[in-house]
Amino acid sequence: MSRSEDHELVIKVVSAQDTAAFGKLVRRHQSQVRNFLRKLAGDVTLADDLAQDCFMHAWDKMHTYSGRGTFIGWLLKVAYTTFLQSKRKSKRYAEILAEAGHVADLESYDHASQSDEVTDLDKFLAVLSEQERAIMVMSYACGLSHREISDATEMPVGSVKSVIFRGKEKIRISFDLKDHQHG
Amino acid sequence: MTSKIINMAERFKDAEDRLLESMFESVPVADDGFSVNVVSTIRRRLWLRRLTLPCAAAIGAVLTIKPLAGLVKAFAGFSAIIPQQLISATASMLPQVSTLVLGAMLLAVCLLGIQALDE
Repeated sequence: MSRSEDHELVIKVVSAQDTAAFGKLVRRHQSQVRNFLRKLAGDVTLADDLAQDCFMHAWDKMHTYSGRGTFIGWLLKVAYTTFLQSKRKSKRYAEILAEAGHVADLESYDHASQSDEVTDLDKFLAVLSEQERAIMVMSYACGLSHREISDATEMPVGSVKSVIFRGKEKIRISFDLKDHQHG
Repeated sequence: MTSKIINMAERFKDAEDRLLESMFESVPVADDGFSVNVVSTIRRRLWLRRLTLPCAAAIGAVLTIKPLAGLVKAFAGFSAIIPQQLISATASMLPQVSTLVLGAMLLAVCLLGIQALDE
């Protein structure tokens, strides 16, 4: 996936509202975006709905992509914002239900709680905070650089590094990484 | 210089980093009509946006026809009690109906043009 091809497609989308070019961009990046959201949300259906919303927002905000970083970095920023907005909404919804006397699960996004099949990665993600989870996934699953993660999360590069360090530390304390390494 | 050092440091990954990368690695998600779905939703939204203004204008026109007719009638009744001289003087100052229609048409065309440019 070359960066220049992405830029050409973005130019077509911004200048001519070319839906075919946007379709190509979606096809190229949907896997990474959906995988990122699946790891964050811990629910395949919810993650795919969020991915759809993310691409809708990307279409509306395409003109804000300056071309400075990679397109996938920008797209993951949109995905992360979409995830946070959805979480805020569902939290507010749960609060309204609670006010109305209904019992609602505020932690519906909790990892490893919605699937019977709990993988090592699920266990890793479960010990991390939401922010650590997002940054670790961007770094280790999506291969973004610290600079790109900093742009996506609007955090200074130094803070990104300390979050990654903290996340690794948590995983190291909770699980013996060497044990995983040797099987 | 500092950024180069940071980039080099990022490139030198230890065994733990490599292990984490392999743990976080995931199977690519098959498209399975996802992109087609996204694009068709966007196309639908685009058409909806294009149709919104003309539809709103048409609905507005339908809704305002009756009150407008009432207003015209009221004015007609009102004109009977106003001295004829004053009416003829005011009528000459007011733009003619054809001018009003032309103005409205120009306004509608401008609004449609602005919307098309905006999109």
